Amino acid sequence: MKRSLVVLALGARILTNPNPAAELKQLFPQAAAFSPLAGDPLHFTAYGVDPKSNPAAPPIGYAFWTTDMVPEEHGYHGPIHILVGLDLKGTITGAIVDYHSEPYGYFSVEPPRFGAQFKGKTVKDPFIVGRDVDAVSRASISINSATRAIRDGSRTMAAKLIPEALK
Amino acid sequence: MTESWVDVLRPQAADLALVTAFIALTLVGFFRKSVRLKYATLAIAVGYLGFYKSSLISVSDIFRLTDLSLPPLKYSLAWYLFAGFVVVSTVLWGRLYCGRVCAFGALTQIMDAVLPKQLRIEPPPALERRAGLIKYGLLVAVVGYYVATKDLARPVQYAEPFWMFTLFGTTPMWIGLGLLLTATVFVRNLYCRFLCPVGAGLGVLSQVTTVFSIKRWKECDTCKICEKTCEWGAIQGPLIVKRECVRCDDCERLYLDQKKCPHWIILLKPVKSPRGRPSATPAAPAAPSSAG
Repeated sequence: MKRSLVVLALGARILTNPNPAAELKQLFPQAAAFSPLAGDPLHFTAYGVDPKSNPAAPPIGYAFWTTDMVPEEHGYHGPIHILVGLDLKGTITGAIVDYHSEPYGYFSVEPPRFGAQFKGKTVKDPFIVGRDVDAVSRASISINSATRAIRDGSRTMAAKLIPEALK
Repeated sequence: MTESWVDVLRPQAADLALVTAFIALTLVGFFRKSVRLKYATLAIAVGYLGFYKSSLISVSDIFRLTDLSLPPLKYSLAWYLFAGFVVVSTVLWGRLYCGRVCAFGALTQIMDAVLPKQLRIEPPPALERRAGLIKYGLLVAVVGYYVATKDLARPVQYAEPFWMFTLFGTTPMWIGLGLLLTATVFVRNLYCRFLCPVGAGLGVLSQVTTVFSIKRWKECDTCKICEKTCEWGAIQGPLIVKRECVRCDDCERLYLDQKKCPHWIILLKPVKSPRGRPSATPAAPAAPSSAG
C-alpha cells in the first residue's frame, strides 16, 4: 500500500526548480558537493568532501523539496515549493521558498525572513504559528501551510534517513 | 506529535465564530430591509473582513475554477464557510456579496453616504449601461491572462484593489488605488459598477440562478420611481437586470412604502377625480370600492 502510494507520488511528482545549486549552497555553505536529487524519499545529499575525490566521504546533511515529502499540502492556491536543509542531528539548516502561487505570498512566504526563521529549529520543535513561528496577519492560510510543509516534510525526511533525531 | 482535532480546531474557533456572526448580521439586515443594519454590516465588512482579515473574494478565487485548486479544508474552515456563503447567497438572492459583504464595495458605499452629494457625477443611463459591460470584458481578460501565463500575482495586484486592506503594496499599486478612490469620489461605486471582475463573475452566476428574485408589482411596468432610485443601474423599465442588481434593498423598501409606491396608492385610496379636471367627476362613483 505504502509503496504503491510512493510510486503514485513519483509518477505525478510536483515539478520543482530542476537545478537549485545556489539554494543548496545557501543551505549548506560548507558543503563541497551535492548528490543529484535521488533516493526514497527524494533528496539531495550534501558532502563536506567531494565524493569524486573520496568515495567514502560521509554526508553532512540532506536537502529536500517539501512538495516531494508532503505533496498533498496546499496553501491558498496550490503547493508552496520550499527547499529545506536538515543536518544529521535533525536541525534545520535553512528553508527557502522557491515558488508559490499564493495571492498574498508577496508579503508572507516570499520574503526571505519567512524561511530564515526556521534555521536552527529541530524536527521535534512544535512549529506553531504565533508561538515559535511568526504569524503574518491577513495571510494566515499561506503561512500555516508553508509552516506545516516544513514541519511535516522535515519529520518525514528524518523518519527515513535520521530516525534517531526524532527520538 | 500527531495533531489532534483540538489542535486543528482551536486556532480556527474564533474566526469561525466571527464569520458566522457576520453572516448572521448580513442576513438579518437583508431580510428586515433595515438601513441601519445594512450600514452596520458595511462598517464591519470594512473593519473585520477588510483591514483585520483581508479575506475577500478575489480574481484568484475565480482562477481556481480553471485549475480546481482549493485550500486544505481541514485548516481553512472559516474560508470555506465564507466562500460557501458567497456562492450560496448569490445563487439564492443574487449579488448580496457585492452589495454588503465585500469590504471594498462597503468602503465605497460608506464614502458615498458621507461625501457631499454635489460632487457626484451621474452618467447618463445609456453610458452607464455600456460602462457596466467593461467588467465582463475585464473578467474574460484576466482569466485568459491567468490560463495563458499561470501568473496569479499581477492580476491580484493590478486588476483589483482588495490588497489595499493588507496595507502591503508597491508605489505603482498605491498610485493606482489613489486614482481609483479619487474617481470614486465623483462617480459612486465606480469600481463595483463598471470594473470589478469578481462582481462580473457573480453577476453571470446570479443572472442564471437567483432563486428568490425581487418581486415586482403590475404597476412597475409603467412606474419609473424605482428605476430612478436604483443606484446600480439595475432596473430597466419593468425589468430587473439580475447581473447588475446587488440587492441593496432600495427598490424593495419603496415597494413597501405605502405613501410612495403607486401600487399601494392605487390599491388603498378611493379613486378621486384628478385635480384640474372637474369633467371627470362622473367617474368617481363608478369606481369599485377598494377600501378596507
